[in-house]
Amino acid sequence: MPQYFRDSPESLVPDALAGFAAAHADLVAYNPDHGYFHTRHIAPARRVGLVSGGGSGHEPLHSGFLGTGMLDAACPGRIFASPHNRQIFEASRAVARADGVLHIVKNYTGDRINFGIAAERLAHEGIRCARVLIDDDLATDSDDIAVGRRGTGATLIVEKILGAAADEGRGLEDLVALGTDVTRRARSLAVAAAAHTTPQSGTPAFTLPDNVLEFGVGIHGERAEGTTPHAPLGKLVETMTDQLLAALPDSAGARVLALVNGLGSITSLELYGIRHAVAKALDDRGVGLDRSLTGTFVSALDMRGFSLTLFATDAEALRLWDAPARTPAWPL
Amino acid sequence: MPDQPGPKGLTHTAVMDWMTRFAATVRSVEPELTALDQKAGDGDFGANLVTGLDGVRRALDALAAGAGNGERDRRGPDAPLDAAARVFLDDVGGTSGPLFGLLFQELADALGMAADPPGTAALALGTAAGAAAIQRVGEAEVGDKTMVDALVPAARALASCEPTADPAHALHVAAVAAHRGARSTTDLRARRGRASYTGDHSRGVPDPGALAVALLFASAHAELTSLSRLPVS
Repeated sequence: MPQYFRDSPESLVPDALAGFAAAHADLVAYNPDHGYFHTRHIAPARRVGLVSGGGSGHEPLHSGFLGTGMLDAACPGRIFASPHNRQIFEASRAVARADGVLHIVKNYTGDRINFGIAAERLAHEGIRCARVLIDDDLATDSDDIAVGRRGTGATLIVEKILGAAADEGRGLEDLVALGTDVTRRARSLAVAAAAHTTPQSGTPAFTLPDNVLEFGVGIHGERAEGTTPHAPLGKLVETMTDQLLAALPDSAGARVLALVNGLGSITSLELYGIRHAVAKALDDRGVGLDRSLTGTFVSALDMRGFSLTLFATDAEALRLWDAPARTPAWPL
Repeated sequence: MPDQPGPKGLTHTAVMDWMTRFAATVRSVEPELTALDQKAGDGDFGANLVTGLDGVRRALDALAAGAGNGERDRRGPDAPLDAAARVFLDDVGGTSGPLFGLLFQELADALGMAADPPGTAALALGTAAGAAAIQRVGEAEVGDKTMVDALVPAARALASCEPTADPAHALHVAAVAAHRGARSTTDLRARRGRASYTGDHSRGVPDPGALAVALLFASAHAELTSLSRLPVS
């Protein structure tokens, strides 16, 4: 039974926040009164502040992507829990620019409501505020799910592209349209061979038989609709690639950006092997791979699994993707 | 010739006493609210509401002692609602508490902008704006078994009153409508909020958030019709 390295279940998040702030003091600052991080370096041309946030346990999302070319503020909640509206409201007030503030929100009920309350409070103070909702998870693409698809890996792509666009001085409506379009052209799927360890109890959130994969997991340890036999990697990646490509809008061209993302306790060795399999699967299907990113960016504590995000690119998106960014965790 | 008790308006004192009365009422029924929320929900609603109202009590004491929010007249009828809004938005966990904060914020704005003392028109405006804000954020409709099931009928009832009607009468109509709306949630299956995850377990249990909305309007009505205090001359 693996245990987390920490003083107590309660200390895990606060100690990590303090450590992160100190480790990256040249780039970010933590506001202890209201519980948010903000960048120390703002692109002078920015007219809109970019704010995101969500539960802790998904590191390096979101705080790792604070800085020039990406986010202005990030609001960490408790583990797998939405940040409080006060954190979001105060962070938004602090980083709002001439054209207001944009919230980048993963589609979960708690996040939607808390960002929504913050937005009402901002409107009440006369601060312009809009939202881009990330809902890229193909596993939850069903008419039976009233709340819609979950937000996962595409969040990173949206944060990168919108950050670069914001640095060019674009306005709020323009950024909302761009972020909405990027989300529309991105889909993700995640698989896991083992659940994450629940911090409170130190036990796995769920157990799987040997040689069975949970197919379509979320990033909070939610079980998937179904399991699949632990097929050879090539076959697994082909299945995922086919499903993702089929779900991209028909208008999308045959060129993609791939995000190969570890969910917490998968090795770099495996991730690069997955990256290799993805490239082969795309090539076999005549789909061009314009860009890729491989590593752990949107995790689910120590879940043993990975997610694959495909984003239908265009010249504009690639230009913004390639723009420089300086944050604690952006690797390019 | 002593003053005769007359109809009360929504003065600063009356609104202070309304909030105090609401807090006392919620405290007295908190075990019942918690029991309901444990049957269908996550069980924290009653405690969150009481925590918020304790904070409101402290904020009202501070207001009476001369503290204030620099932007507002701390003796205005809106000041107690503004204090309640801040506490519920900033310091209450979960989602229901901060949503109540939005209602208080809209009521404070409407009473603050009204002629002195504010009456039925301001109550109708604030309640409708509060209901709209809560529906924008929570995306709940009437029938989803949430606080909206009591708040929307209350807003409609107030809107149906003459703007110049005695606010005590308007609040009676609103309290009855909110109470009926809250009772109507008993047989519903929750479609929003934590209770929506409990499926049919939520049937047979009224929604605690809707009941709390009904108590808010009942408290206001009771405050304006109580003749326990002589009008302040």
